[in-house]
Amino acid sequence: MGRYVLRRLLATVPVLLLVSLLTFALLWLVPGDPASMFLDTSATQEALERVRREMGLDKPFLVRMGDWYWRVLQGDLGTSLLLNRGVTEAILERLPVTLSLTAIAFVFAVLIGVAAGVLAAVRHGRAADQGVMTLALLGLSIPEFWFGLVLIWLLAVTVQWFPAGDYVAFAQSPVLWAWHLALPAFTLACVQMGFIARMTRSSMLEVLGQDYVRTARAKGLPEPYVVLRHGLTNAMVPIVTVMGIMVGALLGGAVVTEQVFSLPGLGRLIIGAVLSRDFPVIQGGLLFLAVIYLVVNLVVDLLYAALDPRVRLE
Amino acid sequence: MRKRTLLALAVSAALAAGVSGTAHAQKKGGDVIIGMTAAPPSLDPHATSAQVARNVNLHVFETLYARDENARPVPDLAEGVTISPDGLTYVFKLRRGVKFHNGKEMGSADVVASLERYRKAGASASLIKAISSVAATGPHEVTVKLSSVQSTFLGNLSSPRAPIAIMPAEEAAKDMGKAASIGTGPFRFVEYKPDSHVKLARFDGYVPNPAYKERDGFAGHKVAWVDSVTFRFMPEAGARDAALQTGQIHLNETTDAPTAKRLQGNANFQVIKALPFAAMVLKFNMAQGPGTDLNFRRAVAQSLDFEEIMAVAYPDNYRIDTAWVYGGSAYHSGRAAPKQDLAAAKAMLAKSGYKGEKLTFIVHNDRPTVDTATVIQQQAAQIGVNMEVKVADWPTTSKIGLGSDQGWNFWTHGFGIEPYEGPASAMSHWVKGQGQRKADPVVDGLFDKFNGEMNLDAQRKLFFEFEDRMADQAIAINMGNYGLFQVATSRLKNFKAYRIPRMWGVWLD
Repeated sequence: MGRYVLRRLLATVPVLLLVSLLTFALLWLVPGDPASMFLDTSATQEALERVRREMGLDKPFLVRMGDWYWRVLQGDLGTSLLLNRGVTEAILERLPVTLSLTAIAFVFAVLIGVAAGVLAAVRHGRAADQGVMTLALLGLSIPEFWFGLVLIWLLAVTVQWFPAGDYVAFAQSPVLWAWHLALPAFTLACVQMGFIARMTRSSMLEVLGQDYVRTARAKGLPEPYVVLRHGLTNAMVPIVTVMGIMVGALLGGAVVTEQVFSLPGLGRLIIGAVLSRDFPVIQGGLLFLAVIYLVVNLVVDLLYAALDPRVRLE
Repeated sequence: MRKRTLLALAVSAALAAGVSGTAHAQKKGGDVIIGMTAAPPSLDPHATSAQVARNVNLHVFETLYARDENARPVPDLAEGVTISPDGLTYVFKLRRGVKFHNGKEMGSADVVASLERYRKAGASASLIKAISSVAATGPHEVTVKLSSVQSTFLGNLSSPRAPIAIMPAEEAAKDMGKAASIGTGPFRFVEYKPDSHVKLARFDGYVPNPAYKERDGFAGHKVAWVDSVTFRFMPEAGARDAALQTGQIHLNETTDAPTAKRLQGNANFQVIKALPFAAMVLKFNMAQGPGTDLNFRRAVAQSLDFEEIMAVAYPDNYRIDTAWVYGGSAYHSGRAAPKQDLAAAKAMLAKSGYKGEKLTFIVHNDRPTVDTATVIQQQAAQIGVNMEVKVADWPTTSKIGLGSDQGWNFWTHGFGIEPYEGPASAMSHWVKGQGQRKADPVVDGLFDKFNGEMNLDAQRKLFFEFEDRMADQAIAINMGNYGLFQVATSRLKNFKAYRIPRMWGVWLD
């Protein structure tokens, strides 16, 4: 197991190198001047050049890239061009928002998605099955930003049950934290809910048709026990694998959701950085997201082995 | 006699009721929350000329001179100025008893340090490049010497663009972008949470300028009634609208026309037109392609119907005005807008060297600006000009348009602060070919003459000549003024649209 983990960790190095190289290449290709964010339309060439010098943008691209890698090796992601603080600090300030949003969305997606999938499988071919599958398809098809705006209009503006955005830290008030994140997390979870429901249904249908399930029923075990203990436990293996991918998708989706609900998270930081060409933040933010994604996938692989003893990691 | 006495008593009572009524109406307290479109790139007032930074910084910082309601420079931290007969020496008497937010009293050393810092590396350092020396000539007196006469010096000094803010000398000693938010304004800095908000609180040590009785532009008698102001960054327009309607914010800095129209009749909200907010201008690249050809530029100018362009892009919030300063300015010429003349435009185009090649029209991804470009494209197509509109974000568009002769033929965007600041600012963008990429010697000459001219009538004449030259040579086309729709909750009282959402003089009911 230890060797497996070490091997997987070493394998992340080329992935991270590739991510950072691709980001650098994209930033090099995409035009745009961060200095323009500081100055207005009548800025003189002289003023623009002075701001560029202050930002270190007058250095050749390869020199900047070399500087960045050297700093990253020393654990320093650099300093934001616009936020007047270190990139690591900027990321860590926003991380609780994105992790909270992603975690709640993950819980929504798994609980509601699995429950809906089990219901559809148990009521296979009936109205409940068709209803769940229609809703799942809708969830998969609706764009997040649109669904978010509809929820804001309906539940925040019209009936005023939830706030339209904003973030309250967990430490400040757990209740307000959950209340403020409910709508954005549900919006973010929507696509994944549909995905999980469909996965669970098909996996459950396959498992419920197995001989050992028939045997369990023949033994007279109660139906909920058969479905949950013998059915769901075995059906979870492919679903857990999907969960790793889902975390990545949720982190990606958080970018849009944070924008719609004005949440000061990592996604909004990166979007803002892209729009203002804050190169160090884009680099550092994407590298950080890649690390999270890789760690989550490693954890899922380890869970996979725990759930299915037939899987050997060595 | 008795009747007259009673009448006098009644009038006195009514006046007293009116006065006390007004006083009673003003309420102290509360946190006003403003939904802003973006976060400021810096809270160091000298470092940035971005509009969003101004919104915050001008609550915290003040300048020696500031603009009044009609954009005229008037004393703010200075009591006044004495100008030498040769126009080269300005002696500023400073107001006494003005406190910085750190408790220190403002003195001449702070003013000298602030001006020196700004002219060295301020975001709009060119505004005060005529200064040759700044010296403290007394604890409350500063003497500024100019290397040449600059008729617009006080105007430049009072510019809110990247304000020449007065900060404590110890902060002015810091690198650009590193100064702490310590000013003399009616609000003091509390916290900045990136991607979330900036919070300011009322500065209880603030002493309003005794020379004034009322709020007046960026100057005047400033009274902070609210306890605090929170500028919340909400780039998504729908999120700002929703937050206003759910009471999470009190003022939406800008909304679109349909939302403004929808909320117009709602008693819970007040829709305010901040008009004029900017002049919409079509720029030609005169350094390459058909833009070098005067006949071509004139043909495009004649093909345009300003009314249609502005009505599509800024419905219900525009004014056709082709002067290069806003109405109300002493320099406003009241010029008539030219009429669209497609026949004359076609004839003019035939005289040019244009052969129907595809031309690049750059524009940034702001909806009304893209609409402006689209309508111009369609109108110019009627005479055979083939424009391709290329939309990108602001950093990309501005890099192409400001930094290069290549990659663009037309560019349209708003000029907000320049027409407000006055003739010198309005002219400066076209000096040495900065905006049009090729210098026009007549424009450059008029600008130089204007800077050296102290007489108002002579200045007006020079500025009108500049406007004539811009139109005659079709260097750029000023199509009119557009406004912003701002929406506030009806609880926010005494709010008046200005260049920034001023939070002094307002209160929450």
